[in-house]
Amino acid sequence: MKLGRGYLILTVPLAFLVIFFYVPLVSIIKTGLWEDGFTLRYIASVIQNDYHRRVILFTIAQALGSTLLTVALGLPGAYLFAKYDFPGKRVIRAVLTVPFVMPSVMVALGYILLFGKSGIVTDLIGRDPGILYSWKGILLAHAFYNFPIVIRMVSSLWQRVNPHYEEAALSLGARGFSLFWRVTLPLISPAIFASAMLTFVFSFLSFSIPLIIGGYRYATIEVDIFTAIMTLLDFKTGSALAIIQILLSMAFMYAYLRSLDAYARREEQRVFRKPIPFRRGDWLSLRGLATALYSLIVFIFIVSPLLAVIYDSLRFNGHWSLEWYRRIFSTEYNPMFGLTTLDAIRNSLLFGLATVVLSITVALPIAYALHRWDFRGKRLFDILAMLPLASSPITLGLGYIKTFHGTPLYYTAWIIVAAHTVIAYPFVLRAVSTGLKKIKPNIFEAALSLGAREWKAFLRVELPLVLGSLVVGAIFAFAMSIAELGATYMLAKPEYTTMSVAIYKFLGARQFGSASALSVLLMAVSTAGFLIIERIGEEVW
Amino acid sequence: MVTVTLRNIVKARNGFRLKIDELIVENGEFLTLLGPSGCGKTTTLRMIAGFERPDRGEILFDGRPVNDLPPYERNIGIVFQDYALFPHMTVFKNVAFGLEMKGLPKSEIERKVRWALEIVGLTGLENRYPEQLSGGQQQRVALARALVVEPEVLLLDEPLSNLDAKIRERLRGEIRRIQRELGITTIYVTHDQEEAMAISDRIAVMNVGRVEQVGKPLELYYRPETEFVARFLGLSNILELEAENGRACLNELCFDVGRSGRVRIFFRPESVYIMKGDTAEVLDYELLPGRIRLKLGIGDRVILAERFLDELPFSVEEMPERVDVRVRSFSVLGQ
Repeated sequence: MKLGRGYLILTVPLAFLVIFFYVPLVSIIKTGLWEDGFTLRYIASVIQNDYHRRVILFTIAQALGSTLLTVALGLPGAYLFAKYDFPGKRVIRAVLTVPFVMPSVMVALGYILLFGKSGIVTDLIGRDPGILYSWKGILLAHAFYNFPIVIRMVSSLWQRVNPHYEEAALSLGARGFSLFWRVTLPLISPAIFASAMLTFVFSFLSFSIPLIIGGYRYATIEVDIFTAIMTLLDFKTGSALAIIQILLSMAFMYAYLRSLDAYARREEQRVFRKPIPFRRGDWLSLRGLATALYSLIVFIFIVSPLLAVIYDSLRFNGHWSLEWYRRIFSTEYNPMFGLTTLDAIRNSLLFGLATVVLSITVALPIAYALHRWDFRGKRLFDILAMLPLASSPITLGLGYIKTFHGTPLYYTAWIIVAAHTVIAYPFVLRAVSTGLKKIKPNIFEAALSLGAREWKAFLRVELPLVLGSLVVGAIFAFAMSIAELGATYMLAKPEYTTMSVAIYKFLGARQFGSASALSVLLMAVSTAGFLIIERIGEEVW
Repeated sequence: MVTVTLRNIVKARNGFRLKIDELIVENGEFLTLLGPSGCGKTTTLRMIAGFERPDRGEILFDGRPVNDLPPYERNIGIVFQDYALFPHMTVFKNVAFGLEMKGLPKSEIERKVRWALEIVGLTGLENRYPEQLSGGQQQRVALARALVVEPEVLLLDEPLSNLDAKIRERLRGEIRRIQRELGITTIYVTHDQEEAMAISDRIAVMNVGRVEQVGKPLELYYRPETEFVARFLGLSNILELEAENGRACLNELCFDVGRSGRVRIFFRPESVYIMKGDTAEVLDYELLPGRIRLKLGIGDRVILAERFLDELPFSVEEMPERVDVRVRSFSVLGQ
């Protein structure tokens, strides 16, 4: 199909992206590289500064470490999921979705409650395990978020490795490790590489985790920009750091998207091997014990921070109580963020809903245009549409301050919704694009041949078929909006405080009980999202 | 119903070039585009449907150019190899889709859907979803969906190739019956020469982007104009001989070709009759159900002969080393 007058549907999405992503981006570049003409002074001074240089190197190092830990933790799971059917597989699979929808403020809180000075684990083993406020905690939390991605992507490809390849290699004398190394690994490597790249990008841009459980000693670029702007009000240094971060993350994101292409090509194979069912006796074999142990570790790893938060929210002065809940539901004005906690809950939900609506408005036409039409510059358009994925909330916040400060928009809630949409919409776009790709092209042509115009064929045939993907994308957008901390914290006036910001402020004030109770509410909302995703069961990443 | 004309069509894509000087599908005719994969037959069909545009040339429905018409304004019905049923709609909804697009009143839609489902023999399955149907049933739904809008042209793109042999044969008979009943101009794409022979009024044999020959099935079978057509439609004997005084001879086996010089003579194995004698050597033979296929050596050439067993002047057990042959009908191939 050629692009006709249909390009009109792109007006709103393009306007949105230009105003709320590209203009702020340019304003950052201008701030960092411009002072009475082009200058590299600020970039140079950041690179020459010992502290900033160490932050940049640490950001890369911790992303690398997180990626290695994540892959190491995920690969055995991928193997088990691809090869075997074992009791509890469905439960574990469902549990693996949990991290995607759990806000990182809450997970950070969970780690504090587990490993902090008076944490549960600390009490149990009688000494500080040295995880909190160190790089170990950061790596662990990043692995928590990303190892399910490794399991999903790698096992999905592993299942499609035609057993005949391995059987042929076996018949030729390859076995054990050499079979894996020479035959299986090259076949699944696109999945390992793509999931590792994604983990790397996430860890590289991570904000809340290093901010809360890394402390100042283990700051990432993201935290450094945040401090430069919010504490030191040094926009020049902040912008210079942001430019460095954008350049690096764009390079990493490019590598990720390339690796994703290779992965998607392999994933088109329609071969599915049947998983080998576990029999009762198998549990007593080495393999069975390893499976049980691995499942247990996964379960504890994912569930323990959540349980810690729930436990803490129910403990008041050393006994069981609902006191923390009473406090957050009271209509008392909270001096810390200038409104009642209920208002924060309401804000979160409203911003989340608005983000969903706006994300769909932006993503759907773009997904459709990329799917349906061939036009000059399509590849460039695709990259420009996905670029927000390489931006970070803090950079976005900085760009918005530079661009919109002083305009009426800056003082409304819409500025927050716009930021959330820029962050969340690429996920809706990806989900819908993947869904559209799964529809056989003949289906659309059949509709045309029966007299349906293009838009009617879309509404009646294609849209119903991508609805599942759209819902999953929308839930992701919602979950990202209510979990978002950095940009919201930078942009929100007190009356627009959200649950995430409130939890962060409670944490700063060492009011763990309130933070926990509010986190449990956040968890409840996230769990609702998780249940819907489980129900629909579409894969979007 | 309309006459479909393709004139001076050129379509280039990825180094492949499709060129059709003229192809006319008469009103009410069943024409098959037959050829190996990659010959351009599906592309031709998709251009008639309007999914693809020719780079040059004209497509006419009853003399009206339709090049600029999108598929939804061409009034066609198309059935795909993979059926392309809407997976989120019931059988009824699938068949009703085209009528709803036309904005027909509900009662009429219902009446027409029943009519179409009755024609394809699916009455009673209205509320099933495509995934609950067998392959053959899905194909019938696809056919009903294409027919119910009363298209001027019915296009079928390898509609039977995903089905197993038995159902394929039954459905092809039904497609033919329905097409005759409705008198609808039909263009059918397949790579299966047997299917093409069984179902078509005429066949257009295609090869690397060209139409090699158009004709009635038996015409193509016994009187192919090119070696490609000859070989694509079945086992062939092709002898390249020097003709003198209007006759070309291979030892005692002579053909009246009516001209002189180098000729290529074509005949089917079943045109070769076997008699007692000694002009040809029996090199090998193969038994088929009720038939026998012989490999015969005449001079330095080998020809194939195929006969029913009871046509042989001897029994298979007493197969002689040498026989006589006679060729009843042959044609001279173009260069």
